[in-house]
Amino acid sequence: MKFYPAKTFLTAALTLTLLTSAHSAAQTVQRGGTLQLAVDQSPVGLDPHVATAFSTFVVTGQVYEGLLDIDASLKIRPLLASKYTKSADGLRYVFTLRPGVRFHNGDPLSAQDVVFSMDRVKDPKTASPLASRLSSVSDIKATGPLEVTFVLSKPFAPFLSEVATISIVSKKYVEGGGNLQRSAVGTGPFAFKQWVPDTFLELSKNAAYWVKAQPYLDSLKFNIVPDASTRQIGLQSGAYQFLPNIDASVAATLKTAPGVQLLRSQDLAYSLMGVNVSRKPFNDPRVREALNYAINRPELVQGVYFGDAVPAGPLPPALRTYATPVSNFPCYATSAAKARDLLKQAGYPNGVDFSILTFSTIKTVADSAQVLQAQLAKAGFRARVDVQEFGSFVQNWRNSNFDAFVSLNGGSVDPDGHLYRGLISNGSTNVFKFADPVVDKLLEEGRNATSTGSRVRTYAQLQKSLACRGPMQFLAYGTLFSAARSNVKGFTPNPTRSLSTLKTTWLDR
Amino acid sequence: MLNYALRRLLDLLVVLFGVSVLVFLMIRLIPGDAVQILLGANTEVTPEQITELRGKLGLDQPLLTQYAGWLSAALRGNLGQSVWTGAPVSGEILSRLPVTLELTVLPLLLATTLAVPLGMLTAASHNSRLEQVIRFFTIAGITTPAFWLGTLFIYLAFVIAPGWPTIGYVPFRDDPAGHLSRMILPTVALALPMLAGLVRILRSSLLEVLGQDFIRTARSKGLTERSVLYRHALRNAMVPLLTVLGIQAGYLFGGAIVVEQVFAIPGFGRLVVGAINERNYALVQGAILIVTAGFVLINFVVDLLYAVVDPRVEYG
Repeated sequence: MKFYPAKTFLTAALTLTLLTSAHSAAQTVQRGGTLQLAVDQSPVGLDPHVATAFSTFVVTGQVYEGLLDIDASLKIRPLLASKYTKSADGLRYVFTLRPGVRFHNGDPLSAQDVVFSMDRVKDPKTASPLASRLSSVSDIKATGPLEVTFVLSKPFAPFLSEVATISIVSKKYVEGGGNLQRSAVGTGPFAFKQWVPDTFLELSKNAAYWVKAQPYLDSLKFNIVPDASTRQIGLQSGAYQFLPNIDASVAATLKTAPGVQLLRSQDLAYSLMGVNVSRKPFNDPRVREALNYAINRPELVQGVYFGDAVPAGPLPPALRTYATPVSNFPCYATSAAKARDLLKQAGYPNGVDFSILTFSTIKTVADSAQVLQAQLAKAGFRARVDVQEFGSFVQNWRNSNFDAFVSLNGGSVDPDGHLYRGLISNGSTNVFKFADPVVDKLLEEGRNATSTGSRVRTYAQLQKSLACRGPMQFLAYGTLFSAARSNVKGFTPNPTRSLSTLKTTWLDR
Repeated sequence: MLNYALRRLLDLLVVLFGVSVLVFLMIRLIPGDAVQILLGANTEVTPEQITELRGKLGLDQPLLTQYAGWLSAALRGNLGQSVWTGAPVSGEILSRLPVTLELTVLPLLLATTLAVPLGMLTAASHNSRLEQVIRFFTIAGITTPAFWLGTLFIYLAFVIAPGWPTIGYVPFRDDPAGHLSRMILPTVALALPMLAGLVRILRSSLLEVLGQDFIRTARSKGLTERSVLYRHALRNAMVPLLTVLGIQAGYLFGGAIVVEQVFAIPGFGRLVVGAINERNYALVQGAILIVTAGFVLINFVVDLLYAVVDPRVEYG
């Protein structure tokens, strides 16, 4: 072996420099500056209790805070509530609010604001899509100036993760006639500054934020740029510094772009195919099992996600306590022969014809439908892909007007959130018309259980019965990518798609 | 002439009424209403909440009641409120219109000013090498959509001059230089396909005129070729060009909508596309009504201009 003293020295020096610079970069936070973000859509209003679309959430997530927060490792952390206690029977939660928190208009946060916000979400007049998250709550009252007590009608295991998603708004502001759809007053690290529809939305630093010295940036500017290639060129040219939650195909092209870094995290959202079990042939569980055998998930991961995804089971691998590895599901071993066999058993020796409803606004969704069509054809499923405008898709989806559909479901940090409303008989998103007494019983057990051990057992059983013969064919959990200029520091992506760490983000200038 | 103008104005009102009915029905007949869009896929709501929300937005009324309410308000100058933000629709429309008008007028001016000399050049250099070159570019121009040119331009600008602000929009009064530097590329992207079309039309119409008897007469009088082209041929060749300009202005408006998407310019098109996607009824209705009025007016003006350009045109 030859020895190159000069090279070794150089390498050592370089490594040292890199290490020290990385070290000092982690140490010295630079303050100030505006982070230019590019997003695809204007928010559909700013009311965090009414508009729950992602385009609204990226903005309101900076302006409002909940009692609790969910961090990047999916742990529930205190936010506006500094602590909480749970009664032994699981029916009573008492939250103690952090003292000295102020809304952006200067008013102090009190227990009354929390009660007002929760009541507002529950009130049918608000028509909040979040209302059912509080369905287990029978009473909410202020039991002190900084203490709120929730009384539940029965134990509800996902309670804390559901409460974490509800923003606390200012009672005084709303009752004084403030329009939350057009303006925003919260307690968050950034305050609403101005919104020019379809152009940009600007938030400025909350100088009185309760976390000392945060946020680091002076302002956030959400530029609304509908065209994906324009956002991409804008990031590369430096016009924008941050693209939150980009598509897998865009991420693939940005991987080698100079001056750009990709920030990644596992995604809780998953692509799925769903079938209408009230229609032939999918009323037969054997046909649903055949679908699973016909689907080649690893191929789909390669073709649609460029390898940056994992085959999906009923629960995401990010929920480590609960998720069953997909290798445990026999129907995940792709076999066209097995699928044909099952179809024959179900009385379809010549295969079946059906249509797949989907939409084009999310590229991975439309691509998945195409790949599935080809994969299923090998097993005798002759699918016609019906790509509709999103509004039409939603209507047909909600009315169960489909044989099958391909879509993307947002995830939840609790297994109940993933499975309950879509699978319980007559559930609010049970568009599959699926009704199975055993599944119903397990779903109820899962949400009402008081110990984690019994929940783990319940969800293991549920995953087993849903993976192969359920109405959903789980396809893939993608990687969640955000792209940023390389001088953007301090941002940690979160599987929930929350951008809450923008408060610790700074620009290295 | 005055009679004709008045009659056409009356027609205009009938057209607008018809369009208002059509638009009103169409946006409601496409599947998925405002409530569905708001809730989207994958949210948990009860049917009671959906009914509640629909009532809140006035969508539970019979169609005729909804239409009558909208029309009577519109006649009083009130185009209604945005479903989502409650802001008056007319304000949003008026704030967007100038942006798109700029994206229609600038390319129109650029294309016409270049089209006249280029068209004459091709006609004058009939059957020459130069004409072949121009023909190649005009055919390429006609077949290349503006939005594709837009993406290409953004990319080229990034490669050639990375610091040049090309994306987005700033109002002229806030930053004139920034405004213009962002308007150059979309203007050129919109003007090129139009320019190509105009050159082709002007060329063929000039060639046709140049073959006519009165041109031969002019030439035999000993007029210079220049004078024949400018004073005799061009004026006569302008009539088909005007017709096309009227139609092209409409196309430009449509093209501007797509180009706004590419360059992230908050114009009228973005407003309408967004409003349709969100089933923001009042906004769609108001916006389309105003665009239609614009179209009909342009055609009306073009018709009147015929008489100015070509004295043989008479209106009874």
